Amino acid sequence: MSAQSRRTFLRSGLKLSGLLIAVSSAPTRLLAEQAQEQISAGQIGAVLRFDEQGLATLLVPTPDMGQGMMTTSAQILADELDLDLDRVQVQLNSAIERYDAQGQATSGEFVQGAGGSLSTMVSWPQLRRAAAYARALLVSAAAAHWNAPQSQLETRAGRVHHRGNGASIGYAELVAAASQEHSTLRPNNVEPKRLAQLTRVGRDQRNVHARQIATGQPLFAGDLSVPGMLHAVIRRCPHLNGSVQSFDASAAEAMPGVVRVLPFPRVPEDRKQWRQRAAGIAVVAKSHWQALKAAQALSIDWDGSLAVEDDSVILHTKCMKALSDGEFQQLHQHGDVEAALAASAHQVDLSYYHPHWAHTCMEPHNAIADVRADSAEIWVGNQNALGVVNAVAEATGLRANQVKVNIQRMGTGFGRKWPTDYVTEAALISQQVGAPVKLQWTREDEIEQDYYNPLGAYRIRAGVDSDGNLSAWHFRVASDALLRTAAQDLPIGLVPASLGESLQIPNNISRGAWRGPQHNVAGWVIQSTLDELAEQAGIDSLQFLLRLYSGKAPLRSPNWPFVDIDTARHVALLEKVAAEADWGKSLPAGRGQGIAVHQTFHSIAAHVVEVEMRGERDFIVHRVTSAIDCGLVINPLGVRAQVEGGVIDGICAAKYGEVRFDKGVPVSNNFNSYRKLRYAEAPRRIDVHLMDHGDSEPRGTGETALPPVIPALTNAIYAASGKRVRRLPLLRAEG
Amino acid sequence: MPTIRYRLNGRPQQYDGDPTQPLLWHLRDDLGLIGSKFGCGIGACGACTVHLNGDAARSCLLPVSALADADVRTIEGLAQGDELHPLQRAWIDHDVAQCGYCQAGQIMAAAALLEKHPTPNEEQINAAMSGICRCGTYSRMRKAIASVVADGESA
Repeated sequence: MSAQSRRTFLRSGLKLSGLLIAVSSAPTRLLAEQAQEQISAGQIGAVLRFDEQGLATLLVPTPDMGQGMMTTSAQILADELDLDLDRVQVQLNSAIERYDAQGQATSGEFVQGAGGSLSTMVSWPQLRRAAAYARALLVSAAAAHWNAPQSQLETRAGRVHHRGNGASIGYAELVAAASQEHSTLRPNNVEPKRLAQLTRVGRDQRNVHARQIATGQPLFAGDLSVPGMLHAVIRRCPHLNGSVQSFDASAAEAMPGVVRVLPFPRVPEDRKQWRQRAAGIAVVAKSHWQALKAAQALSIDWDGSLAVEDDSVILHTKCMKALSDGEFQQLHQHGDVEAALAASAHQVDLSYYHPHWAHTCMEPHNAIADVRADSAEIWVGNQNALGVVNAVAEATGLRANQVKVNIQRMGTGFGRKWPTDYVTEAALISQQVGAPVKLQWTREDEIEQDYYNPLGAYRIRAGVDSDGNLSAWHFRVASDALLRTAAQDLPIGLVPASLGESLQIPNNISRGAWRGPQHNVAGWVIQSTLDELAEQAGIDSLQFLLRLYSGKAPLRSPNWPFVDIDTARHVALLEKVAAEADWGKSLPAGRGQGIAVHQTFHSIAAHVVEVEMRGERDFIVHRVTSAIDCGLVINPLGVRAQVEGGVIDGICAAKYGEVRFDKGVPVSNNFNSYRKLRYAEAPRRIDVHLMDHGDSEPRGTGETALPPVIPALTNAIYAASGKRVRRLPLLRAEG
Repeated sequence: MPTIRYRLNGRPQQYDGDPTQPLLWHLRDDLGLIGSKFGCGIGACGACTVHLNGDAARSCLLPVSALADADVRTIEGLAQGDELHPLQRAWIDHDVAQCGYCQAGQIMAAAALLEKHPTPNEEQINAAMSGICRCGTYSRMRKAIASVVADGESA
């Protein structure tokens, strides 16, 4: 890579001396003089470094958006290294990457993004192996120092101890020797500790950035400044898939501080294709406020003709109608579902509907770009560092190995900070004005230009036999996305006759991943239907679910990541939350309990929600009893935080989640028109229980709690009010 | 444009720029005080909350012209040197933050409340904590505030 990249790499604060280990399932020691070249050449994804003060630093490109990745990583390393946690630092580092034959940055072994609740799961073995190898090198250096057999040595609290003579030596004093150690120690011969030997894994660990957050220190891209930096704001087309017909910038250009006005075409030009960038007009000025004021002074004629049919009322009608007369794609078929329905003792035929949800990331998107003739440097909070490198290269015409990305902490991501539109916008503006630029989206931008969670209309026909067992399941979904998950998910695989069908009805609304993609709504529809079936069959909801999930052979999920599903774990979760919540206890009028369970990717959660109605539709949640099965728990405090957050986010989406479209214009575009759950409405109590099945590997947690909490809530609302919820949001505007 | 004089975190400050600029952007872009965050620009989310003459105020809506002779405190001025404000301490002890973006505003909202009402009732807390946290850390905020109130009562 260029001298520029090395310079900027050093600017990020890494001095390449000390003991350096490439983090991998087959870790290697890097010689200091070569490491810089290897890192700059993009051959290494993450580095563990011990400096001469005995401080361990992990340089890692896996971003933290509140899911706690940086805290968990520090905890895993401290445990394996036998080091106090305050001696371990985790720094987000550039997407230092490999490049393929076409010059595109590609993923190495180390996870580069945050998605699919994979961060901890994927990095766990590699962090442990790297740390175990580092510790072994330190021990080996101590053995040489004392001329003692390694069997006499052990590590505690950052020191190597000699059991024979009681002597000890600090890691700091061993780093130089360990980095030169010529022993035959090979990483393959070094095993990480056994689980029983770990002392930090499984114990509560607070957020390593808690103090910086509580005192307002800079952690996010928008908090940073680069010398000579200008500020940009883009007035974006408010119409879905719209474009700029004409504009007059004369008033804006005359305003104080304004440097340039730049038109931004929609990309790609074919508006039928997925939007990479929206049409708009950028204003570049000396300060954000000047840019924002000038952007508001632009006079723009938009072309919104393409999307006038994309209206909330029309979309609902169209999708609901398609449930009876649409041409559905069959995704799953097993047995004769019509015969099974005819033979069943109890049947339901139900329709459900939910509109689009916006992400409303707490931090509206922003990025700093410094694009020069032969290099680009980017500071941004994004879930997909690799994607940023390649997108910036493509947008600017640079090669991927000329692009350096400094990934920053994110003010939540929820899937929306995976796309790179806001980053390439900043890069293109910087390239055109020839100066570093900070681009700041408004909240209106963030909602109007979202990649929304898709809408869904559902029809489920299902039956229960005279023994109370689910005997037939016909699941249909019509959406603007091709929703596969719900049409293939459990109870399919547990029922003798089943049919899953999906229909995509295209429109101009851009869609993307939203916390627990597809599962977030599949859980609601499926678990609501099961609750209705239980009632129809005259069986308690819990008993009905236990019967459904009990005694079934493990089955392979047809949905990503295609794991083996063991429904004995669903049973254990249901039993746990039922016992802890005192399921079925007698409650005063107007109160009720609801229960649900759902597996999202690798992990499973169950909840009992207890609500009290406040009027016809509004409610207060008194208590949520949650249990999560996410394999080995590394940080119980962090897992609880993810479950508590998922519960709140799910209740929030169910209560308010609806982007309304008025003739192709998203009109819910800030927190006055797109409401979010606030402190006063939050559940009074959330009790989180962590299941322990003796697993040796962690699984995901960030997305697991959300999907089942929505049906647990709506089932509770039914128990409290006698009204079934078959359309979301709960507090929706009429129409 | 007339010079606007005010006090910021206990120190005199003056401003000669665009008087319509909201305090939030003055803090972030002119002064480098980035603890107060931009979240919505309409005073709805509370990520930008500061204290104006001791009251919680949304700095994204507050033009600098309104600051004449005012006392402004931001998250950067909440601790006494290295001595954290009890709420900052409680936020750390109760591991409130997930992403952390809104938390400076949440702490400032709670701090203004406790200065006025050291032992607030639930309604007062609910009214004061009117911001949005997209990570959903409300139950831990509730515990953190309760712990500071309890410590105040026992002191």
